[in-house]
Amino acid sequence: MSTIDLSGFTSAPRVQAASLGERKDYHALNAMLNIYDCDGKLQLDKDQQAAREYVVQHVRPRERAFSSFTQRAAWLVEHEYYDGEVLRAYSQGFVADLFEHAHGAGFRFATFLGAFKFYTSYALKSFDGDHYLERFEDRVVMTALALGEGDEVLVKRLVAEMLSGRFQPATPTFLNAGKAQRGELVSCFLLRLEDNLESIGRGVNSALQLSKRGGGVALLLTNLRERGAPIKQIQDQSSGVVPVMKILEDSFSYANQLGARQGAGAVYLHAHHPDVMQFLDTKRENADEKIRIKSLSLGLVVPDITFELARRNEDMHLFSPYDIERVYGVPMSDLGVGQHYDELVADPRIRSTKISARTFFKTVAELQFESGYPYLFFEDTVNRDNPIPGHINMSNLCSEILQVNTPSVLTESLGYDQMGSDISCNLGSMNIASMMAGPEFGCAVEVAVRGLTSVSDQSNVACVPSVDHGNSQSHAIGLGQMNLHGYLSSQHIRYGSAEGIDFTDMYFGAITFHALRASNRIATERGETFVGFADSDYANGRYFDRYLERDLSPTTARVAEVFDQAGVHLPTHEDWAELKADVMEDGLYNRNLQAVAPTGSISYINHATASIHPVAAKVEIRKEGRLGRVYYPAPHLNDDNFEFFEDAYEVGYERIIDTYAAATKHVDQGLSCTLFFTDEVTTRDINRAQIYAWRKGIKTLYYIRLRQSAMAGTEIQDCVSCAI
Amino acid sequence: MTITESSRLTASHGAVSAARTPPAYRHDPQVRLRPINWNRVQDDKDLEVWNRLTANFWLPEKVPLSNDIPAWQRMSQTEQTLVMRVFTGLTMLDTVQATVGEICQIADAQTEHEEAVYTNIAFMQSVHARSYSSVFSTLCTTPQIDEAYDWAIANDLLQERCKHVMQHYVSDDPMKRKVASTLLSSLLLYAGFYLPLHLSTHATMTNTADMVRLILRDKAVHGYYSGYKYQQALKKASPARQQEMHDFTHALLADLYQLELDYSGELYEPLGLMEDVAVFVRYNANKALMNLGYEAVFSAEETQVNPEILAALSPGSDENHDFFSGSGSSYVIGRAEDTDDEDWEF
Repeated sequence: MSTIDLSGFTSAPRVQAASLGERKDYHALNAMLNIYDCDGKLQLDKDQQAAREYVVQHVRPRERAFSSFTQRAAWLVEHEYYDGEVLRAYSQGFVADLFEHAHGAGFRFATFLGAFKFYTSYALKSFDGDHYLERFEDRVVMTALALGEGDEVLVKRLVAEMLSGRFQPATPTFLNAGKAQRGELVSCFLLRLEDNLESIGRGVNSALQLSKRGGGVALLLTNLRERGAPIKQIQDQSSGVVPVMKILEDSFSYANQLGARQGAGAVYLHAHHPDVMQFLDTKRENADEKIRIKSLSLGLVVPDITFELARRNEDMHLFSPYDIERVYGVPMSDLGVGQHYDELVADPRIRSTKISARTFFKTVAELQFESGYPYLFFEDTVNRDNPIPGHINMSNLCSEILQVNTPSVLTESLGYDQMGSDISCNLGSMNIASMMAGPEFGCAVEVAVRGLTSVSDQSNVACVPSVDHGNSQSHAIGLGQMNLHGYLSSQHIRYGSAEGIDFTDMYFGAITFHALRASNRIATERGETFVGFADSDYANGRYFDRYLERDLSPTTARVAEVFDQAGVHLPTHEDWAELKADVMEDGLYNRNLQAVAPTGSISYINHATASIHPVAAKVEIRKEGRLGRVYYPAPHLNDDNFEFFEDAYEVGYERIIDTYAAATKHVDQGLSCTLFFTDEVTTRDINRAQIYAWRKGIKTLYYIRLRQSAMAGTEIQDCVSCAI
Repeated sequence: MTITESSRLTASHGAVSAARTPPAYRHDPQVRLRPINWNRVQDDKDLEVWNRLTANFWLPEKVPLSNDIPAWQRMSQTEQTLVMRVFTGLTMLDTVQATVGEICQIADAQTEHEEAVYTNIAFMQSVHARSYSSVFSTLCTTPQIDEAYDWAIANDLLQERCKHVMQHYVSDDPMKRKVASTLLSSLLLYAGFYLPLHLSTHATMTNTADMVRLILRDKAVHGYYSGYKYQQALKKASPARQQEMHDFTHALLADLYQLELDYSGELYEPLGLMEDVAVFVRYNANKALMNLGYEAVFSAEETQVNPEILAALSPGSDENHDFFSGSGSSYVIGRAEDTDDEDWEF
């Protein structure tokens, strides 16, 4: 979720809005990354020069000077920039020492985009927009102080983790923590809608409220009755899901206007919902304005049976959610359509229509060609792998959050007759290369888990009580990883090779161990577990079988070697057995622990390759609303490892999916998995990739990205991106 | 098959080679007309370009231009006026191309598929002309829009810039038409793109910039294709004719170059960007000549385009965009292909 630009909470930054006529050297230097030098080489040094020039020419002259760290902190509190409450939990001396220590650590941005992104989107600015009031080190310290809640030891460790780059909180936390004027620290919200107007109305209101506070919001549409379904028993009355999508799209745009940031929302619909084809058609290039969806993200919930029907080249039945709820007394989203499929087909009380299953998949791929959407959520894979009781029926804006929810029952005045639980998740990511640089592996994971848990503890989303209720029961967090490709390349290991997959498997296994260990420690310290722990596969110990019943050592010599060299201990059967006993005894504090986010923005600041993807290009051309068009060299790229930075389009979907499959085994929630294709492919190739992903146990698929290279004869000479 | 049927078939096949596609009617109303046959492609370039253009089909409605309203409101009056005038100027050129420039080349086509390609190009030129209007209607008020159009009509340089090209569109020389059209696409239009490319580097109006990237993606192909067809025709011409065309092209280029500097000067001078724009115009003049198969006339030193503009010129769809702030410029209409049983073996 961290790709969203959440920086609109201070006024529009005038420090960025220079006159149009003014050219900036650092942009020119940065752009040289996309132009070969006279020897046909990448001009990586020009980008470092751009980073320096940017800070010297643009940032330093706009910084406000203070006589001391103490004076600075006091001034910022007095002028309502910093939250005084956060600072008052510590002594003045401790805070001053901490700032001094952080500034002495010698942090430098490694790329122009890292510096540019930080000052454009994260750094505290004066209300009039004329001055920068923070450097990176200040943001780190304020985030640590806010998450530490008075625990000096934890604060110091958080500062160390963030400055070393091992741990980077997600954008909402890193952007907002410690500020007096701020949005939510939490990244993601997931809300279910039930089949009544109260729930839809409440959902729209929640979308507005949460957008205003800076979260990405996903809503579940599966339970809404289909177009033409009866209302009050009168046939052919309902307008179906598309008008609701339209309302939501406009709501997100409205919140966008208030905050000058992008309102971001997603909707999920079950593949066997009767409106599924209209749902997809909203993204058509030539869709009518009344039904066209431009900025709302779409996700489809696909059970195994849909693949099975396509395999047999049969029709798939689409079932009326209205009838399902009347007959079964359970909303469609919670029924498990796959498990009841034949029964639903045979039941005359449940109206259904038919479409060809293969045509359905082909249409999905067509739309992905045109728009990148929809995401796919493999319903049965997700639920088979879920250690928590309940049915998971949706994901979020970045398709990595996978948690159970329960419905609310609303009164006519939109109060709660029965409080359901909706989902929120706060994220943070670890830099794999930094993690593998030293032996503090387990300790770093623990600090990250404690930092993220603190966000959950502090979170208080009063405007959406069902989310607040859900969070207080689950304390769910989403620890992610980034810089896999950068790290592997630096070790001369090819992405998606046997070693690459072996490393991914070992690394994520170790992360999982330490994350569970940390959550267990918190539960022990507080004598508190998440609600429902007793009924989970953690409590009965079954969860741990997957580790106790398999060989836990690396299968390749090279991977054993890199862990040895780093001094990182890989957990053994004895370690896991001990952890199992402890968890069964004292439980876990967090119901969910891991989720691998796409890490757009924070990976630029952190000098990492995004998430566990291959790079989009050796020099990525990044386009964002607030940044414009900028160029980002792959982290760790140099002359020695050039060949290891194959881009995602060259790597191909199999090696990406194999890598994700290795990580998926260890991650209790999901991983944002984008697939990359060139325009040479057809819808059939995309379908093959989806079948492959589903077979390999991937839980969700995120965007499809397409690359079309310039037609022969129209390239720009010396242009790096033309030479792909 | 009976004998009569077979002989009729042979006869009609002979008729195929004598028959002409509909544009020939203009010259010979007696000619037998025949439909276009995409199963007999004479020049593979026609098919390649057709495929590329159809896959790249888009409409301005897909771009969330309203996201640019805050950026627009932050701009000064002068800057807003510049954007509107540059875009009105671009609309003018696209209108010329859509309704006259591309259409007049249909009758000159060397292959029947070239005729079809030009219908596509003409239509997309209309889409481009319309897309600037989408920007206007999203960002500006009606009086502002009317004023910009009044300006375009009253601006002598803009008028002269168009008419200097159009005189060749209505003349009788097909090759001069091709040259004029290529210079319009590759030289005059690109001067207008300097502004949106510049804006995009400065994170201003990035959704408009996305839309311009889509236009740029098309224009790169249009300019290239006209130039290619010109070169094909030139190969068959006599040395004297080749010399005549060489001289004609360079003379027209010199005229248009001067007109462009005068016209762009008026627009960009107030913001101090004219020096950079002039370099960019020279760069594109060279590019236009290369499209037509001629040597560059400006030296490397005279065409050192700012790196940030040059780096943004690539017509490939290689921007890794943030989905939450725009819809990007990389998506294309895909080729649908049914899956087969073997794909579903699991």
